Amino acid sequence: MPSLTVDGRSIEVPAGTTIWEAARRLGVEIPVLCHDPRLEPVGVCRLCLVDVGEKKLTASCVRVAEEGMEVRTSSERLAACRQGLIELLLSDYPARPADRYKTAPDLLVSQARDLGIRWPSPAGGFPAGDGRGIDASSKVILVDHQACILCDRCVRGCDDVQVNEVIGRTGKGYATRIAFDLDQPMGQSTCVSCGECEKVCPTGALSLVRPERGAPDAVASADTDWEVL
Amino acid sequence: MRLIAELERLQAGRGHIDAGSLRELSSRLRVPLYRLEGLVSFYPHVRTNPAPPTVVSICRDVSCHLADGATEAAAVKRMLADREDVAVEETSCLGCCELAPAARVNGHPCRMREAAAIAGSTSPAAGPDRQGRTAVATWQVEPYGDGERYGALRAALAAASPDAEAERIVDVLEAAGLRGMGGAGFPTGLKWKLVRSEPARPKYVVCNADESEPGTFKDRVIMEELPHLVVEGLALGAFVVGAAKGIIYLRHEYEAARRALEQELERARGAGLLGPGILGSGFDLDVEIFVSPGGYILGEETALLEALEDRRGEPRNKPPFPGQAGLHGRPTLMNNVETLALVPPILHRGVDWWRAAGREGHAGLKFISVSGHVEKPGVYEIRTGTTVEELIAAAGGVSDGRSLKAFAPGGASSHFLPADRANVPIDFATLERAGSMMGSGALVVVAEGTPMLPLAANVVRFFRNESCGKCVPCRVGTEKATQMLAESLEEGVPLDWPTIRKLDLLLRETSICGLGYVALNSLLSVAEHWPQEVPGCPAGSAKG
Repeated sequence: MPSLTVDGRSIEVPAGTTIWEAARRLGVEIPVLCHDPRLEPVGVCRLCLVDVGEKKLTASCVRVAEEGMEVRTSSERLAACRQGLIELLLSDYPARPADRYKTAPDLLVSQARDLGIRWPSPAGGFPAGDGRGIDASSKVILVDHQACILCDRCVRGCDDVQVNEVIGRTGKGYATRIAFDLDQPMGQSTCVSCGECEKVCPTGALSLVRPERGAPDAVASADTDWEVL
Repeated sequence: MRLIAELERLQAGRGHIDAGSLRELSSRLRVPLYRLEGLVSFYPHVRTNPAPPTVVSICRDVSCHLADGATEAAAVKRMLADREDVAVEETSCLGCCELAPAARVNGHPCRMREAAAIAGSTSPAAGPDRQGRTAVATWQVEPYGDGERYGALRAALAAASPDAEAERIVDVLEAAGLRGMGGAGFPTGLKWKLVRSEPARPKYVVCNADESEPGTFKDRVIMEELPHLVVEGLALGAFVVGAAKGIIYLRHEYEAARRALEQELERARGAGLLGPGILGSGFDLDVEIFVSPGGYILGEETALLEALEDRRGEPRNKPPFPGQAGLHGRPTLMNNVETLALVPPILHRGVDWWRAAGREGHAGLKFISVSGHVEKPGVYEIRTGTTVEELIAAAGGVSDGRSLKAFAPGGASSHFLPADRANVPIDFATLERAGSMMGSGALVVVAEGTPMLPLAANVVRFFRNESCGKCVPCRVGTEKATQMLAESLEEGVPLDWPTIRKLDLLLRETSICGLGYVALNSLLSVAEHWPQEVPGCPAGSAKG
């Protein structure tokens, strides 16, 4: 059982426990976008970086706690990194994604508000990106690639949790997108419309198709631009 | 390795892999379609559409940029514009920078200005194999001359106690101070010791021969000319750490190197130097060559392992390091080509020879790829401690009688330095003190009169092009930096310098791997030394 400190508080955790999980047990919520405790961590959004006194910051969602580790979850350096990462993502985020129905609030937007980032507004001086397109081929899920942050949650939800094995990634670098089967439109893929991908998606990239009858029964959440069902 | 090998086999058959073939492969191997899509869309050497009979690949990266490759590329495209049987494709550094501006016609390296003529000939597939040779005829690292090779391996296997011998080898490498020559410079003896101490079995040894850093081609020449030292170094590594399986991970474009290595492996097997019970000892070793499906990022050690495990070549979060949990989660010793090739001479001739081989307190020999504005670009084997200006002189001096303006000593990821630092001795510590790094041992020479901001923009664009896209800072940050530089250059608007500084912070502090850390090095060094050439950068604030 390694014992470590998180922001000066000690905790002993079973071997193999991640820093993120150890912090959580102490009531310290390290911000995340790509991580969900139900999924195997991938450490790609970098928001959960912490300082363990090494030369490099380390992603707490994947880094296993070690004996004697002294973890700092907040500092000026970490705050600057987190703010910058959110700004980077917002610079490509659709300005006002209307008509989206989510089963949970938009985590990217709420993280931004927690950090005091005004949005929508020009994000951090970064040039804005757009043009990734929308896939409206599915009767159940609307795919807005421009709102996708490649967090890999839907991929893991589809392939590991539901074992439907439909969603992956296509392309490389900045051109990477989520894709269904051999990059079919979602409605023409082997997707069984289980809804898991929408449920785990932290942004407006995967949302529920608006019911056709009249105004939705949705409740607009106070802290998001989405209407939450 | 099986899945990527299957994809290569399919492509070899028809020249491309269509959706029907992928569906058939998916059901035969029971691999989901999304995984195949992930692979074929990630690796540049996989084609999902039919290619025309002739493909001309033209390089757009730093050494070719310096040789006015953009103008030549436009000319090649113009000349071949009406040829429906020819595709002209822009590509990342081809690893033959001595031919800059360089191209390949159906896989054969050539000068870009010859590409249109070769592509226009009746049988372009039979074009000349112009893998450039170096001016140097003999190599000082060659310990065997015309005599019997594999002396260091023979000596190791003849030792009474294999354990004591393995420890002795580690001690020799540590005493020699040998460091990794791929870019990171990790101490080789320590790496071998760490992997040796890992209890898990089996273990693997991987030779990282995926040299792809713009301006770098030394490993190619070493493999072509000294393949026996690479194979012997690999075998010694396997002997020390206790591995029975070795893999040479070779970049796709290095076909002449592949032939040389294949011949050498065949010779070694025939001589009983590879295989079961080598030279009557209890040591077994099987070595195979794995040809990379392409991409600079595969040279990152954990991305390379992902490719070997049939996934998209995206770097892993570290720790664990490959030495602890590498290929298939097993301890894996991974070394660069040059590093492995230097081990046999050090063991065979001893530490004193290695120390004396350098100059003025610097130990050893070093292979440097020299490209850019020099009269005789090529691979030079230097005594460590030789200065940059001496090496430029050895390469015939700055081209066309111009004076030196700048140089990058360690490839595209190293900082550019001004001419007044060219008296720096080439070694790890001295280059770092001078404000740059040894990197991949690639000296890129820049002549007076060369605008520095377009040069930096070229390098930043390379890293954008080669980012794997896994982590946010690198995927998005390199694109934003590339866009900002392009806008500034095209429209003459000043760079938003605070935003560039912020991008550098994010790339350096939060990227998963080294590609992100170094992506803006060229730009920051240009701003530091030539602030008047960077509109928007306040003089003296480049570091601020």
